[in-house]
Amino acid sequence: MATKIAERDRCVTGVEGLDTILYGGIPRSNTVLLTGSCGTGKTSLALEFLMHGAVKGENSLFVSVTENSEKLLQNIIPYKFFDKSLIKSGRLVFVDMPVMYERLGLTKAELSMEEIELLVNSLASLAKELQAKRLVMDSITSVCYKLKTSEKIRDFILKLSKALSDLGCTSILVGEVTADSTSYSTFGVEEAIADGIILMANMERRGDLLRTLQVIKMRGTMHSRAKYVLDLTPVGVLLVPLLKGGSTG
Amino acid sequence: MSPEMVSAQQIASELNETPPSSAISLQMSVDNYLDVIRGVVDLFANKKQMDTIYVAATISSDAIKRVLQALDIDDSRVYFVDCISHIMMGATATQQDEQTTLVESPTMLENIMLKVEYLIRRSQSKDKLVVIDSINSLAIHNNNWILSEFLHVLVSGLRSRDAYTVILTVEEHSTPELNNMVSLVCDHGIHAGKKEG
Repeated sequence: MATKIAERDRCVTGVEGLDTILYGGIPRSNTVLLTGSCGTGKTSLALEFLMHGAVKGENSLFVSVTENSEKLLQNIIPYKFFDKSLIKSGRLVFVDMPVMYERLGLTKAELSMEEIELLVNSLASLAKELQAKRLVMDSITSVCYKLKTSEKIRDFILKLSKALSDLGCTSILVGEVTADSTSYSTFGVEEAIADGIILMANMERRGDLLRTLQVIKMRGTMHSRAKYVLDLTPVGVLLVPLLKGGSTG
Repeated sequence: MSPEMVSAQQIASELNETPPSSAISLQMSVDNYLDVIRGVVDLFANKKQMDTIYVAATISSDAIKRVLQALDIDDSRVYFVDCISHIMMGATATQQDEQTTLVESPTMLENIMLKVEYLIRRSQSKDKLVVIDSINSLAIHNNNWILSEFLHVLVSGLRSRDAYTVILTVEEHSTPELNNMVSLVCDHGIHAGKKEG
């Protein structure tokens, strides 16, 4: 008799094309590295993931490291499905990391192991207090610059990932790489620890610049590894397969 | 004797016989463009209160809007994916608005699919019609391999959404390869070209 392998519960991203690529969504509690160079749509995709969660009634937390969240909200795409009352009601919460550093006294250029512990515990406490089921950190690369060494980066991501996973929180860590990078992360550590890697890129084809998305790995589910072209629209991120007839790489 | 043209009413009648989710190859003559527009947009789509998503690759959406106005055709349900204005450096004249979406170049076939998808999602009408004007113009900018792949992915997607697809082919500019490519993805063919009277 055939035994059925237990299906992991899914965190449906709400981005229809991505959920199809992932056979139903991100396995719940996974930590995913959403990586790519600038202008590829990482922040928009990550925000949409949170917004769909908030619309569905899942508390969602955006930890903004690089950009002031107020400024971020000003530049947001006017999504048809998004209601700003979700922010007022606390369903979708924005936290600025520099403020958090300040409050915790983490003002030095490089954090010690104890300070990393403090930071992880604070983020986990916040997620627990808010009963967050989805979290985005934008960007993990900026945090890594304060950690400096591979050991510290590994320690931080492992501990944060474990703490969020224990809370049943699915997280997206936004990573930044240069356009010519052959690696999925700046420090080479983030990609090895994450449960999943979603790569976003700008692909040039005969002078046209296409935004692409590719799921490189995702623990706990089958997934497509093909490259897709995406568009950022008021109805959300739309995806279509990259036509291979014209592909250069 | 000069060739007689297929009328707009005949084109609409043939389209009316096809079920939703059909892909229709409409082969026309350059001299019959106005009748084709009237038959497809006015007598077929507008009459059925259907939104039309018009992929303009031959002439700009502005020019097509002027044609519709000249023919006194209601264009309130016509939404354009204009992939020609940008490369003509005329994008400033063709403003992106609620009814017009610009694609930078007809070589960005994926972006054409994405804009069509966006307009379909935005559309409130039960049935939808997508017009590709024309396969010959897209063939100027794309090789047959990628164009064939584009048609296959686009038409398959539109079928799953119960949308009609009409692919215009200009018979004077067509080739056997293009005709084969279109007939491969279409389940109905309408000849609206010249016929000997």
